Amino acid sequence: MGRSARTTRRGKGLKLNNNLFKKALSNPLALAGFIIIVLVFLLSMLSPLIAPYDPNDINVKAILLEPTAQHWMGTDGLGRDVLSRMLHGGRISLLVGLVAVGISTAIGILLGAIAGFYRGWVDTFIMRLVDVMLSIPSFFLILAVIAFLTPSIINIMIVIGLTSWMGVTRLVRAEFLSLSEREFVTASRTLGAKDVRLIFTHLLPNSLTPIIVSAVLGVAGAVLMESGLSFLGLGVQAPQASWGNILTDGKDYIQFAWWLSLFPGLAILITVLGYNLLGEGLRDALDPRSGHGN
Amino acid sequence: MISRQLKLVKKALSKRVSVAIVSMLLLACGESSGNKQTSMLNDNKHYLPESGGTLINAMTGEPSGLISMIAGESASSAITSNIFNSLLKYDKNLELEGDLVTNWQISADQKTITFKLKPNLLWADGKPITSADVLFTWQAVIDEKTASPYASDFQLVKKTETPDPLTFSVTYDQAYAPALDSWAGLQILPEHLLQGQDLHTAAFVRNPVGSHYYKLDSWAHGENLKLSRNAHSVLGQAKIDRLITRIIPDNSAQFLELMADNIDAMGLDPIKYSRIIPARPELQQKLALYKELGNSYTYMGFNLKHKPFDDVRVRRAINYAIDKQELIDGVYLGLGINIASPYKPGTRWSNPALTPYPYDPTKAKALLKEAGFTDSNNDGILERDGKPFAFEIVTNQNKEREKSAVLIQRRLKEVGIDVKIRAIEWASFISRFIKTGDFDVVVLGWGLGLDPDQYNIWHSSQQAPGQFNFIGYNNPTVDQLLEQGRLELNPDKRMKIYHEFARVLLEDSPIVYLSAGYGLTAINKRVKGIDDPAPPAGIGHNSQEWYIPAPLRRNEISTH
Repeated sequence: MGRSARTTRRGKGLKLNNNLFKKALSNPLALAGFIIIVLVFLLSMLSPLIAPYDPNDINVKAILLEPTAQHWMGTDGLGRDVLSRMLHGGRISLLVGLVAVGISTAIGILLGAIAGFYRGWVDTFIMRLVDVMLSIPSFFLILAVIAFLTPSIINIMIVIGLTSWMGVTRLVRAEFLSLSEREFVTASRTLGAKDVRLIFTHLLPNSLTPIIVSAVLGVAGAVLMESGLSFLGLGVQAPQASWGNILTDGKDYIQFAWWLSLFPGLAILITVLGYNLLGEGLRDALDPRSGHGN
Repeated sequence: MISRQLKLVKKALSKRVSVAIVSMLLLACGESSGNKQTSMLNDNKHYLPESGGTLINAMTGEPSGLISMIAGESASSAITSNIFNSLLKYDKNLELEGDLVTNWQISADQKTITFKLKPNLLWADGKPITSADVLFTWQAVIDEKTASPYASDFQLVKKTETPDPLTFSVTYDQAYAPALDSWAGLQILPEHLLQGQDLHTAAFVRNPVGSHYYKLDSWAHGENLKLSRNAHSVLGQAKIDRLITRIIPDNSAQFLELMADNIDAMGLDPIKYSRIIPARPELQQKLALYKELGNSYTYMGFNLKHKPFDDVRVRRAINYAIDKQELIDGVYLGLGINIASPYKPGTRWSNPALTPYPYDPTKAKALLKEAGFTDSNNDGILERDGKPFAFEIVTNQNKEREKSAVLIQRRLKEVGIDVKIRAIEWASFISRFIKTGDFDVVVLGWGLGLDPDQYNIWHSSQQAPGQFNFIGYNNPTVDQLLEQGRLELNPDKRMKIYHEFARVLLEDSPIVYLSAGYGLTAINKRVKGIDDPAPPAGIGHNSQEWYIPAPLRRNEISTH
């Protein structure tokens, strides 16, 4: 159906992303997702200003206090203020999410572009590599890699990034395969455009929208992954707070100190939900078959 | 029963559980806890002792094998002490008595001990137990291939004799004070099943045949070890038919199982003991709580082969910079004692003249300065030769130890030391860091024996991989004191030697004593016959007499 629509849209490239964004936000769920992300982002970024206490301020006289006016989210096993830790932990979660997705998207674009543009044995090789990577359960792959490295925020970001580029690669390759058959690409090529120019000025800008969608959804996955790793003690290390390790601290006292498990659990849930809603909204707006768009 | 062996304590808690069932000997003389709870438990009038039933307990780590002379860990000895006997054991008042032997004689020159085995003893497979088995066990423990952390105790035996199947005698070059205690700790292995085999790889390690109250029925890896009564038990029959030890690595999962009645006993952490259970009447009704001062302590140990920990000023500075009372209050909720010697407080071996390093950050800073550390770039972290003073504390995934590490991290930051923390699962912690010596600082625990001899931990000769002096402590004075202490039979003179040893150790500060913790145990009240108050040997001393009255047993689907 939308062949001509697609062609025009591709033609406009980046400008269209703007419209897409507007279109996506007209969807109330996507808007909700967007608001959630902005809120979480603001709260996390402003945490040094708005956190009521130092997140690592230990007070052994105030351990495991229930939520009160002084400690809105109670205190943990070392008397640290959970709200302050949640706010600081949010920064870590978002940082890990964004950087990891940045890495995976960069790798994905690079490999996908090479595979989709040059085809042949390079394509076969990269796609088999993707198949191999995809056949390994990624969480266990990450666990195995982390076991050899020292767990730290930087390592976590790199490892998550290095193990989650396969989806983007496939996406970019598919886009490139179909785009490079288009007339405007053939035209540029006939006019003597070099490969690099073709890739960066024609093919890539026209593939950006699906990449953005996958990146937004990828952040949700990375936030979850970081929480999971920190929960297992392989992620962000003490005393640095992250939602995952606050949750771990709460696990032992879940029947007794509910606030230690509830708040980080909710924070992870809401943030991941926010990214997913926004991602879905963008996808709907992008997909001409979804009905919303056209 | 395990009596004196030094053990790496994975989790003060997990040990308690096992210990509650088997060898409370490690934890002598505790106060008993809330009488309200325990008096209900000891309400034995309604239920006469009867045999049968299953007792289920839990441990956090799986034993690496069931030959405890090799394993050297509490998870292993928790199981093996139900399966194997030693020549001697400690009674409830911590006096030595015969286990496999009827009596023993010490020669006039104090160098030879002659053990007389009880007649007609059988292994669980029906074969007789003879002095040849004892000889075989001794040969195994001193064999270098065995690499037992306990070898040094037995290498001092110069001559062994087995004149007849029931007599075994050992002769030392010089009188050896911890001799009897060491034999009380050595579990005797069956020669007929192990001869010529490598003890590390033998199938026996996973399928042992012993002589004690119980025998191993099955071992489902990662799940449970099931023991049932040994018909040939050398000490008569225990009351409880079966012991199941479930492996539940996660402490909170264990607690859920305890609340759901799926396990009968577990070690508690201070928060569960003094906050959670007291706040819940239904748990108080179901569980009896026991609190005993354990013969164990938690410490922070320096790798003395690494710089700058080879410098005593640095070690002392760190000792001054850590607030132990804060740690005891915050992590152990006050259920711990600040100690100054590696012995249980209140025992004769603990030197009362010593006081722990006080919390004194000013002194710490002065000492660090003296050692050449200054903050030349004003970043809050000290440097020496341009390198910042930073190190990593490695510990196993034990809540108390992790929290302790966080408190230490904060205090050391205040004097300008940058600390990172790494908490790892027990098995990889031991194999990757302890056995290789590849660590800066560890937070760990020692479970001690009844004899004051700590040669295995502190003597400079005990540094091979797998041995206990993994921090690389090497002090000729201490070596000499430890050697002397082993030769001194007069208890008063011996006490002086160990007091001096503790003094030198404190001054040298190769480890920072963090806390001597209490063993906290919860046992379901269906289990009767537990001594209250606990005798010096602890509640586990008469575990063979514990019983579960038939009306209180779980509904079990019989597998037999």
